[in-house]
Amino acid sequence: MDPQLDPRPPLHTPNHWELFVGMQQVALSSFGGGLSAWSERIVVEQRRWMGEQDFLTGLTVARLLPGPNQINMAVYVGSRFYGLSGALVALGGMLLLPFSLLMLLGLGYYYLHETLWVDRLLAGVITASAGMALSMGFKIAHSYTRDPVALGIAAVSFLAMDVFHVRLIPLVLVAGPLAMAWYWPRRTPQP
Amino acid sequence: MTPLLAHVCTPQSMGDWRHLLAVIWDFLSLSLFSLGGGNTLLSEYHHLSVDQYCWLSSRQFADIYALAEAAPGPSSMIVGLLGMGAAVQEGPLWGVLSGVSAELAILLPSTLLMVAASLSWNRLRDAPIRVAFERGLGPITLGILFAVGLKILRISDHDTPAYAVSAVVCVLMLRTKISPLWFMAVAGLLGGLGLVNR
Repeated sequence: MDPQLDPRPPLHTPNHWELFVGMQQVALSSFGGGLSAWSERIVVEQRRWMGEQDFLTGLTVARLLPGPNQINMAVYVGSRFYGLSGALVALGGMLLLPFSLLMLLGLGYYYLHETLWVDRLLAGVITASAGMALSMGFKIAHSYTRDPVALGIAAVSFLAMDVFHVRLIPLVLVAGPLAMAWYWPRRTPQP
Repeated sequence: MTPLLAHVCTPQSMGDWRHLLAVIWDFLSLSLFSLGGGNTLLSEYHHLSVDQYCWLSSRQFADIYALAEAAPGPSSMIVGLLGMGAAVQEGPLWGVLSGVSAELAILLPSTLLMVAASLSWNRLRDAPIRVAFERGLGPITLGILFAVGLKILRISDHDTPAYAVSAVVCVLMLRTKISPLWFMAVAGLLGGLGLVNR
């Protein structure tokens, strides 16, 4: 958008404390879901730390690189301003409250899981979470249906892990470079 | 022949510093292999915490996964719960300490890489290695996610009603935008009423 037509206030560079508090706001707002939507609303719309384009670039990098996407996004936002120290502050802000809550839940679980009603309740809940786990593959499968080589690579990776019990690290170390060689951009001139 | 099925899992003491270093090293090295947002690591977490180090039973692992999915915040924080399982029998303080250390170990390497990539993204954006990495690792991630989903399904469900609930949830996850928390609440109710069992 033409900056002169943009009615929003100008961009503002946060200091470390503002980063920490802002990321905490993102984490709190997203209790109940929709973390990436909330982080855009707060980082781009409300606090004006960066423009939409910068934010979208961050999402791309966060998805591409190893690590949980939302956590990588916090690291991106923080490191844009203060490198490593900014990244750690943003990460701390994003994780402090949810992680503390999770630790409390975990203690509750480890001390109570043999109680009959907790066990019964969880016996039900895990059937839903298993369904959610099963949906992860289907969710991204549509991007690959037109590429037989990609489907072949996916099938081999699946069989290696599920049938032959190959561990993740050796699997990625062997299949990764082969797949990357296949998809390495070729310098053939466009016709 | 070794009786594989009779394999007895005996937890090692965390007081042994070599053992502790081995555990930390395992999480540090897995960090850089968390493709597709981290869910690809779930099978490895199961392998480490159930088969290799005997912190949890398979049944507890299924519970922990559900707990991490239901709790607010990134579900990859499951590592904190695994770490807690390793030491919670020593007391709550050790449980929390161990949980925090496990979470730090799994996040540190990927965070450092992410900082480096964020700072040099302008050079990386059009580099051939970026394109090859994205297109090559995508299908591998797909295959692994199917294997992980099936693994979680196998350790969670043991009878027909349970599999039926999982199948319905899977379809609803793909076809609707209903919050997963609703599925977990309804399934929890079914469990509480004794309609689905382990």
